[in-house]
Amino acid sequence: MILKNKAMLRRSLLLHAVIVPLAMLWLIPIWLMFIFATLGDSAIFSPQVRLLPGSEFFENFRRLQEDLDFVRTVFVSFVVALVYTVASVVLTSMAGWAIAIYRFRGKWAVLGLILGTLTLPYFVVVIPQFIMVARDFGLSNTWFALIIPPLFNSLGVLFMRQAFATMPKDLFDAARVEGVTEWQIFRYVAMPLAKPMLAALSIILFLHSWNNYLWPLLISNDKTMMTAPVALGSLFGLMDVSWGGVMVGATLMTAPMLLVFVFLQRFFLTGITAGAVK
Amino acid sequence: MKMLMSTTALALTVTASAATAETEITVWAWGSAAPGLQATVDGFNAQHSDIKVTIEQNGYSDVKSRVLAACAAGGAGLPDVFQFQNVEMELIIAQFPDCAADLVPLGFDDSAQSNFPEFKLFALQQGDKVLGMPWDSGPVMMFYRRDFYENAGVSLEDIETWDDFIEAGKKVQAANDGVTMINDNLNGGAEFFRMIGEEQGCGYFSEDGGEITMAQSGCVAALEVIGKLNEAGLVSAANFNEKIQNNAAGVVATQMSGAWMEGPIRNNAPEDQAGKWGIYEMPSVVDDGARAANFGGSLLAVAGNSDKKEAAYTFLSYALGTVEGQITMLKDQGLVPSLTSALDDPYVSQPSAFWGDQAIWQTVLGRLERIAPINGTEYFSDADQVMIATQTAFLNGEYDSAQAALDEAAKQVMFATGLPVAE
Amino acid sequence: MRLHTKTAYGFIGPYLLIFVAFWAWPIIYSFYLSFLSTRRAPWSFNPTMTWGRLTQDPAFYNALKNTLTILAIQVPIMIALACILAVLLNSSLLRARGIMRFAFFAPVVIGEAAYAAVFRLMFNAEFGIVNKALGSIGIGKIDWFANPTAAMALIILAVTWRWVGYNAIIILAGLQSIPKDVYEAAILDAVTPRQQFLYITLPLLKPVIVFCLVLSTIGSMQLFAEPFLITNVGGPGGATETLGLLLYKQAFLNLNFGYASAIAYTIAALALIISALNLWVSRGDDA
Repeated sequence: MILKNKAMLRRSLLLHAVIVPLAMLWLIPIWLMFIFATLGDSAIFSPQVRLLPGSEFFENFRRLQEDLDFVRTVFVSFVVALVYTVASVVLTSMAGWAIAIYRFRGKWAVLGLILGTLTLPYFVVVIPQFIMVARDFGLSNTWFALIIPPLFNSLGVLFMRQAFATMPKDLFDAARVEGVTEWQIFRYVAMPLAKPMLAALSIILFLHSWNNYLWPLLISNDKTMMTAPVALGSLFGLMDVSWGGVMVGATLMTAPMLLVFVFLQRFFLTGITAGAVK
Repeated sequence: MKMLMSTTALALTVTASAATAETEITVWAWGSAAPGLQATVDGFNAQHSDIKVTIEQNGYSDVKSRVLAACAAGGAGLPDVFQFQNVEMELIIAQFPDCAADLVPLGFDDSAQSNFPEFKLFALQQGDKVLGMPWDSGPVMMFYRRDFYENAGVSLEDIETWDDFIEAGKKVQAANDGVTMINDNLNGGAEFFRMIGEEQGCGYFSEDGGEITMAQSGCVAALEVIGKLNEAGLVSAANFNEKIQNNAAGVVATQMSGAWMEGPIRNNAPEDQAGKWGIYEMPSVVDDGARAANFGGSLLAVAGNSDKKEAAYTFLSYALGTVEGQITMLKDQGLVPSLTSALDDPYVSQPSAFWGDQAIWQTVLGRLERIAPINGTEYFSDADQVMIATQTAFLNGEYDSAQAALDEAAKQVMFATGLPVAE
Repeated sequence: MRLHTKTAYGFIGPYLLIFVAFWAWPIIYSFYLSFLSTRRAPWSFNPTMTWGRLTQDPAFYNALKNTLTILAIQVPIMIALACILAVLLNSSLLRARGIMRFAFFAPVVIGEAAYAAVFRLMFNAEFGIVNKALGSIGIGKIDWFANPTAAMALIILAVTWRWVGYNAIIILAGLQSIPKDVYEAAILDAVTPRQQFLYITLPLLKPVIVFCLVLSTIGSMQLFAEPFLITNVGGPGGATETLGLLLYKQAFLNLNFGYASAIAYTIAALALIISALNLWVSRGDDA
């Protein structure tokens, strides 16, 4: 027994000897993001290593707002991500419900199309999307352009199909006998049951939209309709950019998502793993 | 009664100015051009208090890509006025002719145009239309640290050709620990190639834009010079922002650039560098060869879909079209006026303390009349991207000769553009 | 069971509408575009300017080489690391589990623009913490943004930092779905932990790992924001220019939509082939 404990101890030491330094290494960029946000540029670009916070956060924030209205861009990002998430969750749930519950003509074709796009890189559609939305519709710098074209996603449908398919069918049939409409069954029976899955999907979709870079870069070039990531990236090329200010921007973009991650970790992990467990 | 009338008159004036004060125009500009333009706003408002000008500063590539995206979107999202590089303007003219407004009906008539040199108007004319107003020119100059050169016993009379420059560079680096002779944006541009090529009368395309000329002898000579500089270890890579940092840190002895580099050097230098900088003209490739070229320099265009074209043009004609506006920008940021009459301003002949009491603008402007127009064509960025990659490969020793490298590059540009390669 | 075609399309209709408008039609349209010369209005049929150029364009081969290099180096390193992390994080001996999970999983929620900014400062040649750390163990200054090899290494490091946790999450879920009794039998047979891992865990995890490989392959083929933001649009001199970046430059800086569409289809074809290859190779092992 003692021998076994000794072996366990040795394994435990070995485990932590590997994982602790690695974890510290992984935390450095996040830590530095927060530290840099509190340091002036002369401290960021100095021969010393600074690992502890300074007192320049509000000064950096002021300089960031001077370079561009970052608070506005965070607001735009938030609204876009929120509306996108709600719309996408509704659309994909309805589609997932149809595929999970009904037998209908063209079902396999639809499912095939959805699965087919899973491996299709976004680049194949981005150019026509741009030509269509920007040139043909003339809708650059609009909420529509930021929210609607990215709405399609196949993972959400597969995810929700899985959620509905595993629910007991008897429940729905019982409702049908009562004369409840299909929409009401979906809306008032199935959707409430799917809440945990909806939460997981919502978090993933929100995150996806919040961090989306290429599409907003192309479609939104007016400062009042710029999203936070695009605005942040546009600062890199400025002649006299305040890097402390950039780091405040990065922090404002990142901190809310880290909080979501910490407090809603369970849903978050479900969302990521859902694709793998089919 | 009288009092009543005057009150009414007063009320009328107040309403009138309140109504016109609502004209607000937005300008996109980059780099030192943005603060330069900002410096003219006070003078402009002294004459036109009814037009409010907002200047948005962005990085150069950011302005470029945002303008192109907006033009592709039929102008959605464009500001009222935007800055663009002369050599790249033809991309807009060829693809989106409506994106920039014709300035002629707004007042940019023949006599107004004649105040600007031909090489600046060249890319802006399309038939009878003129799609932008020339802003600054970029006569290529060598900006150097007097103290570093002196430490090495190098005097400017010794530097006539690039071979001389290389000899001088070896001495400068030997005498100043940790100092590099010159910076070129080797990682993201083909700047030296374009400058030295132009000095030798060679650009990516022929003057009529019909042929690819980047494999002609002048360009080959330019690439050879860059190869020699690199081989001698005299050049290190730095983009615009890094050049400014290197200048401030005192780790570089020379910068070759358009004259607009004057402002960024002066305005970002630590105090102890005052008086230590100077300028001279670019070396030539051969003895007694040409020593003038233009690099950069841009224009302001009025957006084709702006509903404040008149106000925008009013601002342009003050900031770019008057001596007062142009000299303000020259003083503030070293933006060399395209406006010919501004060159006679007394300020131009004044010595500058920062530049060691050298009357730099006389030296710079002496270059101006020798500059020939270069046709960027709408394929400029295609050719530039190919050239950047070719230059990297050449400096890595992947080609036997500069000629071989440029023959290959010209072939690629031919594929990209469909234009023939000049014999 | 009877057909509910009408009801079903009522539910799936809005989703299909978005699909048709913003995916199906663009997919067809960009295929058509890839045969057009879009250099001057009006656009004209001229595949030599698109597909013809593709076969001869060194910039394309350079971007292809860079993309495949990242794929061949970054993906295996990341998946191996993700496997190790998953096993370590799954260990019952692990302390401070919450912090450990946070360390590796948190990068998943951080946007490219934000972490690109941090990495630019961390890898700054003169003042970055990385060179300072390397200097303290006697390794000379590395110019991460000017040296082609170093710049490529930087992109690989950055992408690995960002995505290893994502893969570890998936693999960890796979690990936890392995029934306990499989191991109980092994413990009775006095199998060492290493043997346990190699002969029991790994084979059972294979489908999950293959899934991660396929996801990462598609991800690598689409790499854009990192070289755009961290290494100054694919610098130095195109050393980190990926296919995605080349497409962006051609489409949105040179306004050459036709050629860019040809590149887009090439990316799609490669992603498909390499994903299929992944699946095929892993199936071959079973036989």
